[in-house]
Amino acid sequence: MVTIDLATLSVREANEKLREVAALGQDIELLNPDAKHHLGVGLTTPAKVHIRGSAGYFCAGLTHGAQFIVDSNVGWGVGDNMYSGSVVVGGNAGAIAGVAIRGADIVIKGNMGSRAGQVMKAGTLCCGGNASFLAGYMMYGGRVIILGDSGERVGEDMSNGAIFVGGRIQSLGSDAEIGEVTPEEDIEIRDFLAKYDMPFEGTFKKIQSAGKKLRYSGSEPILRPLPYTEFTDQSSYWNRKVQEDIRVKASIGRYRIRGYGAAKPLPHLGDIAIKVDPNRIGIGPDPVKAVNLRTKIGDRHGARPLELSFPVMIAPMSFGALSRSTKMALAIASRLSDTVENTGEGGMLPQERAEAKQLIFQCLSGRLGWNIQDMQKADAIEIYISQGAKPGLGGQLMAKKVTKELAAIRGIPEGIDLRSPSRHPDIMGADDLVIKVEEFREATGYKIPISVKMGAGRVRDDIKIAYKDGFDFVQLDGMQGSTGAASSEVLEHVGIPTLAALQEALDGLEECGHNGDMPIVLMGGIKDGIDAVKALALGASAVGVGTSALIAGGCIACMQCHVGNCVVGIATQDPEHEKRYETHKQAQAIHRYLETVRWQIAALVQALGYDDFRKLTRDDLVAVTPEAAAMTGLPYDPSYREIEEQILTKVA
Amino acid sequence: MCGIAGILFKKPDSNHVLGQTLVDMLDGCQHRGIDSTGFALYEDGISGLRLRFLLPETGDAAPTIAKIKSVLAEFDAKVLEEGTAGCTYRITVDFKGDIRPFAYAMEHAAKLISLGSSLDVIKDVGTSHELDALYHVGAIAGSHGIGHVRLATESEVKPESAHPFWATGFSDIAIVHNGQITNYWKMRRRLERRGFEFRTDNDSELIAVYLADKLSAGEKLEAALSQSVDDLDGTFSFLVSTKDGIGFAKDRLAAKPMVMYEDDTLVAIASEEVSLNRLFPGQPLNTTEPAPGTCQTWSRSI
Repeated sequence: MVTIDLATLSVREANEKLREVAALGQDIELLNPDAKHHLGVGLTTPAKVHIRGSAGYFCAGLTHGAQFIVDSNVGWGVGDNMYSGSVVVGGNAGAIAGVAIRGADIVIKGNMGSRAGQVMKAGTLCCGGNASFLAGYMMYGGRVIILGDSGERVGEDMSNGAIFVGGRIQSLGSDAEIGEVTPEEDIEIRDFLAKYDMPFEGTFKKIQSAGKKLRYSGSEPILRPLPYTEFTDQSSYWNRKVQEDIRVKASIGRYRIRGYGAAKPLPHLGDIAIKVDPNRIGIGPDPVKAVNLRTKIGDRHGARPLELSFPVMIAPMSFGALSRSTKMALAIASRLSDTVENTGEGGMLPQERAEAKQLIFQCLSGRLGWNIQDMQKADAIEIYISQGAKPGLGGQLMAKKVTKELAAIRGIPEGIDLRSPSRHPDIMGADDLVIKVEEFREATGYKIPISVKMGAGRVRDDIKIAYKDGFDFVQLDGMQGSTGAASSEVLEHVGIPTLAALQEALDGLEECGHNGDMPIVLMGGIKDGIDAVKALALGASAVGVGTSALIAGGCIACMQCHVGNCVVGIATQDPEHEKRYETHKQAQAIHRYLETVRWQIAALVQALGYDDFRKLTRDDLVAVTPEAAAMTGLPYDPSYREIEEQILTKVA
Repeated sequence: MCGIAGILFKKPDSNHVLGQTLVDMLDGCQHRGIDSTGFALYEDGISGLRLRFLLPETGDAAPTIAKIKSVLAEFDAKVLEEGTAGCTYRITVDFKGDIRPFAYAMEHAAKLISLGSSLDVIKDVGTSHELDALYHVGAIAGSHGIGHVRLATESEVKPESAHPFWATGFSDIAIVHNGQITNYWKMRRRLERRGFEFRTDNDSELIAVYLADKLSAGEKLEAALSQSVDDLDGTFSFLVSTKDGIGFAKDRLAAKPMVMYEDDTLVAIASEEVSLNRLFPGQPLNTTEPAPGTCQTWSRSI
């Protein structure tokens, strides 16, 4: 038994020592824990850890295989995302005990706080006392055992698994019902209680999903696709899109869901021109060689930064929304163009990890496919708060795409209409977020950047929180961002345009006295190197491309991503459809597209007379519409519209 | 966007550690808010009425102090003691009249952040330890107090945006709050129509004035807190302090944490147990988490 004393070591030092000692097969006791956060976080070797006192937030979080004993209480999120092993808490637990567990035993001898077992996938959460409200909230599987009383709305929106209550049930949650406890279940519970020395003589009531809410009754009809030009037409009042929309709603009786991006004209980077004297255009035979496009992102707090050969990365898109083949093509293309790929929601594919030179691992509210092993394989972590296409909402994945394989990776039941929660269980404000960020740093040994993805809502406030909570960089996504599925109301009417989002972010950073050390990666409708140059000149440090990379790799822009029958094999999980996707051919196509983006950026930077893209400034830009001028504060000069066309022709 | 802490000693033999205790508790949860820190302390052995003002950020403080003194003279308030510390000016006066008109007049004279016969609010940009160094918080003895660490999002990082908030117009009432009141303007307009003034646009000040209004109408603190859980919308965990004691209220969503510890000698409440453990290093505590939608109060028994 090795003793680690927290009276003399910081949590970071203690956790490092803990991992070191556990790797040698030793058992550990932690003295003077004094309710400090993150004790044991990131431990992936089977060891016995005895915490002699109380632990704070995320005790034993993001661990795999270890057995923890806590003598006294724990704070929020005990056993967060634990894969296997156990935590036995002698006292009480705060909110979200056993959040997102994937297989461990979490035993609380006292009472536990609200939302216990939120988004858990497997394993057992057991409480010897009473549970506060919303126990088992949005659980996807596993078992919650409450020997005492359960608070209000137990089992709210659970989609699978079971909750067994020995005491009084204050009220059932939405879509939850009372079921029959089978003799086998009863025996298993008694065995579990005996194992953890928790005598109980009473009987149990079982709460399970009624299964009524997380299935759409009528499926989305497959329609004759409208050409994009007609789909975005705002000129006529009762145009074909409006008519179609009314007819579909009359047929299915609910809001509509579709994929793809915003389909209404918004002020965008096209409303800004590059301001240069046509007589002084710098030209050279090989701009890519002449201009420095390399950049590093994410070393604000000493982590190993992402290294980009040019300031463009692949935007987060999930395996789930996209087929495995498409994710592979994006990973390969990102490697060939020496930039960064992103897992999106729903887990990291081993082949994707192998193919991408650098990969960002995204963490969403449902913690789908989220785990410590893949975190430790990632080159950066991204906490998704929201996205430009549907700010304030979680992901949506329609049942057709929730295949057996996909469900297994995400730890959810097969064939449900998956709706990720709109908020993280453990991030209710900036004060909690800072503790979450620290947990991820502990889990990854402070080695890799932690970033935040935010959709454009209250950007000015949000970016200040991001700055103060210590994120290494921000992925900012405007309203023109695309998605695999969202309600069309939200897609087209919620959020603020990319251009306005960037400006608000820059203003917010200015207001909180930043020192230029938190880069912004801008995404949401970036279609080429020209857009990229404008974004960089405005103040972004890099851009992300999603839709344009998909189009480069074969997307025909039919806007039916949500249906799951993508005819080119991109937005589908159906093997027959996926067969149509030629991964290596499309990887080359995406790579070729990325190289043209590289060339465009280099050529424009050179045209402006610079040898490094970082020399671009706002003075290189002019607004050509009043809206863009109002959003960005750039000078308004519509005459540049024509000049820019000349420049671009000349440079090209 | 913050962390809160409060303590009440049930027996006067612990009073001497009040300031140091709160400094430690706030240091324990400083990670929840790094921009500013503040204390509301109920100090022993004070005679007269104490007022603390924020001085102008730049320039000479003399005109502000002169203005304060001229308004004090208008109310026949006799100066007993005065001094500056950090960004503040503190003056103790002998005043026996009606507090509200006096308080409103004083806050029109300068930025008044505290008024009371034992209350002193000390708040500034910086950490708990930084404030202690500047204002000697650790040396203050008293029966009870509350404190706050803040991460500024919507408002600026300035001393006046820091908590605690004094209940403008009422003596010896302060509040610290973690959360967001979503029916702020509705509630504020109701109070404004009845003649109450607000010093800031901060929702925490609203809670202080709301409670003070009820207390001055003769309601018990516990009843006022209980009503506040119904009347206020949003997410909140807050602590209130009066001359006699402290209390908490917690919303029904329980989105903002709160943990408490009580024994024969003291009651301590904080956002996180780590703050409570600062009082008893190395010792596991038998803590409880207040239930959603509840409130409770404690009075000093001395």
